[in-house]
Amino acid sequence: MLAPMELRGRHVALRPLTTRDAEMTLRWRLDDRASLLNRGAATVEEQRAWIAARPESEHNFIIELLDGRPVGMLSLIAIDLVHRRAEPARFLIGEPQLVRGVPAAVEAMLLLYRLAFDDLGLHRVYGTVAEENAGMVKWQTFLGMTEEGRLREHYRLDGRVQDAICLGMLEHEYRTVALPRMTALVGAASVDREPAAEQ
Amino acid sequence: MLTNETVEAVIFRAIEALNAERQPSERITPTVDTGLFGADALLDSLEFVSVITDVETSLNVDHGLDIALADDRAMSRPVSPYTSVATLRDYVLELAGEAS
Repeated sequence: MLAPMELRGRHVALRPLTTRDAEMTLRWRLDDRASLLNRGAATVEEQRAWIAARPESEHNFIIELLDGRPVGMLSLIAIDLVHRRAEPARFLIGEPQLVRGVPAAVEAMLLLYRLAFDDLGLHRVYGTVAEENAGMVKWQTFLGMTEEGRLREHYRLDGRVQDAICLGMLEHEYRTVALPRMTALVGAASVDREPAAEQ
Repeated sequence: MLTNETVEAVIFRAIEALNAERQPSERITPTVDTGLFGADALLDSLEFVSVITDVETSLNVDHGLDIALADDRAMSRPVSPYTSVATLRDYVLELAGEAS
């Protein structure tokens, strides 16, 4: 059983998803930006029921700016402590206007990877992305994922069959590739926001 | 030999590629002063990573230059190289000068 937790960074925090988030997260999921994700609930009631049914073996988060405004969602699912692997999933920025200039997506993923590799001691994270979601494939590979294969015609999204791109990252790749890049992006985005330290 | 104009064109193309995913009213016409990342910037971090990836790829494929734009050096500078097109251009030229 995984205890609910809040993870806090320099720009965003991850706090547990609750049924009170049903209306907001449904709006995000029904937006065009989410058209390449798996379709889920169609009503607030269905979304509330889906959230309530999340197993305790998952970490499901709302991404919030540090002033408390929610901007997206992100999960770590299929956590397997025997094989030491898990799947980052349900990654969605629902309020793009609020995160312009803010490394929200990068830091949210960084916080999730810290949970996976540092706190849970996992060896590997993995996932699949729809072929047409080229921007997400580009984003994940730049931040350390390796393309490991392809599941042919694995998804049917908006009436079209698509391959799934299989992505994965091992712990040493997290530490040598992902972590330096993500830290650099979060740090450089902070340079112009934070006052210089007193000499 | 990379010039200011060459690097700016690479960055502009990377920004313009984002416009296909944006509403018409939110599309960006890039200039050297266009804010990229940090305070008053126009891009979110998903878009910014796309720009950085496209710029690195273009520099490699079109100009034979293998440089990494996201590393420790980028965060240790008094002014972020990601602030605007101009600061990113200057950072690219600096790294290119060291690589040649």
